[in-house]
Amino acid sequence: MLNVLKTVRDKLDQIGAEPAPLFYEAKRIFETRPEEQPYALLNDCESKRQNRYGVKIDLLDLSAGALPEGRSMYINENPAVGENPNRYKQHGFHFTADNCIGCHACEAACSEKNGNPAHISFRSVGYVEGGTFPDYKRMNISMACNHCDDPVCLKGCPTRAYTKHAEYGAVLQDPDTCFGCGYCTWVCPYNAPQLDPIQGQVSKCNMCVDRLEEGLKPACVSACLGNALNFGVIENTPDNREQILTQIPGFPDPSITQPNIRFQQTKTMPNEVTRTDSMPVKYHKGEDGQFRSVVDQKQGKAISWNFKRLSSRENPLVIFTLATQAVMGAFAMVFLAPFIGLESVATIESSVMFIPMLAVFMAIQMGVLVLSTLHLGKPLRFYRGFNNLKYSPLSREALGVAMFFAGMAGYTFFKFVNIFLDWTIVEIFAQLAGGFAVVSGLVGLWFMHKIYRIKARPFWNHWQVITSFFGTQFSLGAVLLALFLVPVALVNEANVGVLVSVLAVMAFAGLAAEAVGLYGHARYLNTENGEGAASHYVQSTTFGKTYRLRNGLLGAGLVLALGVAVLPLTTLASVTAMVLLGAMSVTALLIGRALFYVLVIPTTMPGAFFWKNKGFEEHARDIGLANMPQVGVVPHLH
Amino acid sequence: MLFGRQDRKKIKILDKQVTDWKYTTCGYCSTGCSIEVGLDAQGRAVATRGVANADVNRGKLCIKGIFEHELFEASGRGSVPIVRDKPWNPWQPTNWDSALDKMAGEIKRIQSQYGRDSFAIVSTGQIMTEEFYTLGKLVRGCIGTNNYDGNTTLCMASAVSGYTRSFGSDGPPGCYDDFEHTECMIAWGSNLPEQHPVIYWRLKEALEKRKFPLIVVDPRVTMFAQFADIHLPITPGTDVVLQNALMHVILKEGLEDREYINAHTKGIEALEACVKDYDPTTAARICGIDEDTIRHVARLYAKANNAMSIWTMGINQSTHGSDGVVGINNLNLITGNIGKPGSTSLSITGQCNAMGTREWSSCSGLPGYRKLEKPKDRKEIAEFWGVEESFFPEKRGMFMTDIFPAIETGQIKGLWLIATNPMTSMPNTPRIRKTLEKLEFLVVQDAYQDVEANQYAHMFLPAAVWAEKTGCFTNTERRVNLIRPVVAPRAESKPDFWIFTELAKRFPNGQKIKFPETPEGAFEEMKQLSKGDKRTLDISGMSHDLIEKSRGIQWPYREGMEGGKGDPRLYVDGKFQTDDGRANLIPLPFIDNNEKPCTDFPFWLNSGRVVEHFHTRTRTGKIGNCNKFSPTPYMEMNPDAAAELGISHQTYVRLVSRRGDAVVLVQLTQRVSRNMVFIPFHFHDCVNRLSLGLLDPHSRQPAFKQCSVRIEHTDQAQAAKLNAERRTF
Repeated sequence: MLNVLKTVRDKLDQIGAEPAPLFYEAKRIFETRPEEQPYALLNDCESKRQNRYGVKIDLLDLSAGALPEGRSMYINENPAVGENPNRYKQHGFHFTADNCIGCHACEAACSEKNGNPAHISFRSVGYVEGGTFPDYKRMNISMACNHCDDPVCLKGCPTRAYTKHAEYGAVLQDPDTCFGCGYCTWVCPYNAPQLDPIQGQVSKCNMCVDRLEEGLKPACVSACLGNALNFGVIENTPDNREQILTQIPGFPDPSITQPNIRFQQTKTMPNEVTRTDSMPVKYHKGEDGQFRSVVDQKQGKAISWNFKRLSSRENPLVIFTLATQAVMGAFAMVFLAPFIGLESVATIESSVMFIPMLAVFMAIQMGVLVLSTLHLGKPLRFYRGFNNLKYSPLSREALGVAMFFAGMAGYTFFKFVNIFLDWTIVEIFAQLAGGFAVVSGLVGLWFMHKIYRIKARPFWNHWQVITSFFGTQFSLGAVLLALFLVPVALVNEANVGVLVSVLAVMAFAGLAAEAVGLYGHARYLNTENGEGAASHYVQSTTFGKTYRLRNGLLGAGLVLALGVAVLPLTTLASVTAMVLLGAMSVTALLIGRALFYVLVIPTTMPGAFFWKNKGFEEHARDIGLANMPQVGVVPHLH
Repeated sequence: MLFGRQDRKKIKILDKQVTDWKYTTCGYCSTGCSIEVGLDAQGRAVATRGVANADVNRGKLCIKGIFEHELFEASGRGSVPIVRDKPWNPWQPTNWDSALDKMAGEIKRIQSQYGRDSFAIVSTGQIMTEEFYTLGKLVRGCIGTNNYDGNTTLCMASAVSGYTRSFGSDGPPGCYDDFEHTECMIAWGSNLPEQHPVIYWRLKEALEKRKFPLIVVDPRVTMFAQFADIHLPITPGTDVVLQNALMHVILKEGLEDREYINAHTKGIEALEACVKDYDPTTAARICGIDEDTIRHVARLYAKANNAMSIWTMGINQSTHGSDGVVGINNLNLITGNIGKPGSTSLSITGQCNAMGTREWSSCSGLPGYRKLEKPKDRKEIAEFWGVEESFFPEKRGMFMTDIFPAIETGQIKGLWLIATNPMTSMPNTPRIRKTLEKLEFLVVQDAYQDVEANQYAHMFLPAAVWAEKTGCFTNTERRVNLIRPVVAPRAESKPDFWIFTELAKRFPNGQKIKFPETPEGAFEEMKQLSKGDKRTLDISGMSHDLIEKSRGIQWPYREGMEGGKGDPRLYVDGKFQTDDGRANLIPLPFIDNNEKPCTDFPFWLNSGRVVEHFHTRTRTGKIGNCNKFSPTPYMEMNPDAAAELGISHQTYVRLVSRRGDAVVLVQLTQRVSRNMVFIPFHFHDCVNRLSLGLLDPHSRQPAFKQCSVRIEHTDQAQAAKLNAERRTF
């Protein structure tokens, strides 16, 4: 039965893929050049038992007998089995930073082999530089996938497009399964997975496993003209090399994923090295000799609005998260009101507006779910989002939100039926469904928050995300409820004052949580050195005025909510205050959530002046250079 | 599977389904890498790989070579010959017959109206040697104009001139294998990692096996300078002063090889007298290298058992280009560092077949390093081709850099450009624009119809490119290598060989002279002409098949030699190509004639190459995986200088020189000094709108790398618009 399900799932996961070539007979996996040179040949004789993190290098051993030996990798469905003697050992790149000349041969060889268009590259060379003429040093860094011990891409991917293979420890991704959410590009600290906005899917370094099967080093290594890049069983020191370091300036903290890359760098770099790309980050040498990222105030200290730049590719997520949280909050309040004795809210159930209100909640939730689906590179593959419940917070969030929606639908359905069939059993079903929705919603919200707790994105990796997401449930939930409850109360000539007070308390709680979270976040960002602090620098300069506006609105909203909650007000004053509070809350949270997405600075590798420079990419789009495909920048996609 | 699915997940890796690998030689720079292009079952070129058993590159390729197969289908190519009466009229398509008829007619009209030399021809370093030979035969034997030169005047003319002055003949005497033997190397104005990354790799391999001191002379902190044991950030244009100072120290301290000097050179007295004036203290003030370092380098170089020098455009493209080459040769001659393994003067050439044009195109004389000035050479070639000896001029005509001024002032009325793009590559392009407007007839023969010079053309002939043709290239180390055709010429475009042969038929002498029908036929003629007379340039033992089999053969490879290996080095016996067999030691007094930074123009303007582009970008500008690394021009500028002027990183500035202006994106870096800016030369309407290009008196090569500019603020939106407009491919 399970096998049948798996088969069905596998079939579903391959809809839309090009048909695979059929090989009935094994053939050479990769054609070796005649009289191949030694530099291209793998030459590990011995290897260590475990790596420096205590992980076994023999991957069959690591799998503790779960995997058979001598199995074909079926590369392109070819049943041949590679004869590489170290086939089941974790391999990795070795990069001699002293030697890289920045000639792009590695990137070119990779793109040539994999047929990548100009805007996609599995390997990229960037650089850091420092010193003063003529005592100037540039260090080029060539970086691809590090086939980590702890592949965060694999764990993050909701579709389970990733596999870490026992063969070579390669972390491979299947673009045919991928639905293009780009989450792996968020979690990877090295910018290894490449999201192609034109193809709508991710692809990445495949370690040239086809070459490895034939005993050849990867194409990039074989092409290296500076004798900088090498490859072999991890923790082995290549010939003529002395070091197997885990870090060089510009390389993110290896503790995040335990990457399978080692370095040699014997030449001293200046104590501070900078990046030529637009990221406001540079690297400073600490007392332990390691370089850490610090803020580089590239854009000066001028404070601006930059309202237009709040709009980004992630706009659908701004709307999706805010609306989902608002609906969850509003629904939970409606569902729980009778149990916690909030009469003013609970009376809605007897109103003719009750079912229409629930219908609107459903419509909003449905709408933003569709919106978030359209945000995918391949929206029709949305159903694959639940594939990775085992690891991916994205899968779990999707399931939580889907269950919330189902519960809310059930609740609405039974409540609707209840109008015509006033049976207890129907009411019980309604309560069960509603309860299910509330619990699922909370679970969904928890994992929605987990999505952003990414080590490679320090700006997000803070508990503020919890207070913000759960707070929004209250603040926007109250605003959403007010839209229905206040008019109903006015029409029914009920006590509007009491209702508004209740909603104001709810809003206050939400805004207060948001404010506390932001305060904690700002404190964290001010003490943190790296990319998080850089985000905060951008927040308080490039978006400085916008940021202050948001903070002001938040503070004013808190005062107003408190006032409405405690002061005895006339009906007119209550309603006016509620409208104002609603407007302020929505504006503040919208700005805040947009900033949340725009500001994040990942721990990427340094770029170059044009290639992998966000600033140039933006400029090329703005002036139309990007319309020429050979510029390597994807133009604005409308 | 350790993580992920328990069951098998599909692994898909691009398989290009190559069914056939075709042997050829890279068509970009002069390193001379052997390449195989992979064809799929439909015959489309889909892949490139280095040839693992080729001695030059040993399987390696640089970024340009790796994507070379993509150029067959890149944009901008011509498809049919096109003509127009005036450059402002629209183009009309035509066929080859009528185009060549018209072309021959116009050449004859101009020659009869204004004189034989009023029609000029400027060729290239990009086409095959057999094509150069055929072009030379057409020009010298049929058309008969003496104003015929190659664009190699812009890159290697100083090396040719310097070699000839010192050794009596052109021809780099060393080879890449010298890296394996040398004990000290100076790189003069050569940025190997970016310009010739595969040669750099050969050097790196040698250095990893056996470390030896590496000294890099460059005003900019290039990657090569950074990797050097000693970097000499020299004041632009003063290399000769440094060379004289080094020789001063060597001679003063008795570190020279007297035995070698006495046995194989002449002119030591005059040289000694000259370098007396260049003591390190005096020299330091001019060239910017402190006196202790000068002494240290001099001793290091002289005391090494084997020392060698390489150089590229930092030497060649200056007002003392030829002198700089002679200076390097002087240095090597007085220390006995010529003709031994690891001891040489090795020019690192620019274009894939700059050597081929030097050897066989008859640009500067007659085929096979023969000279028009020598009656014996004129007679020999006249007899071999079957033309009147008197048809040849007795002296070479104008260099490329003198042809343009002659057009400007009306001595030349017609021009034929072959695979060269002076609208981007010549210094002071505002003047070139003005010059080309004056032509009565301009033919552009190029693979690319969008080559900028075509704006002023009356006729465009679409040529086949690189491995759409057959023929040979000679590389920097005198290695003749073979290009086999990989795909058919695009649309109606034709191999240059065919165009030359067909055009020849339209001239009276062309009816008399036999033009071989195939490149192999032309190669046979070249072999005949290369024989005997103790020629170094002897290819008589080679054939196309043997060249392919040997993955390139160095000349001399004489008839009867075996094994497909030519002589790796010249002048091993200390006998030079001068009349008396002795090398010339030539004194080089320094005259400071550069346009230097001043109050109005306070910055040195330096230019150079980036690894992802080749020359004027007609090819690499269209290949995304090359072009993306520098899709628009940029300028390296020192951050301290920028701070003073209020200029920020990644903004546009306007540069102004005494010639014109240019708009460029600023990249702040301490790689350049406070009073220098650096701009890659590949981009149309950029650095050469500013450059002066004073001519070297011997080689007539322009000094691209030394002039002065000032930097002005500019409206960012306007500048961005202009930048985009100027990059239309």
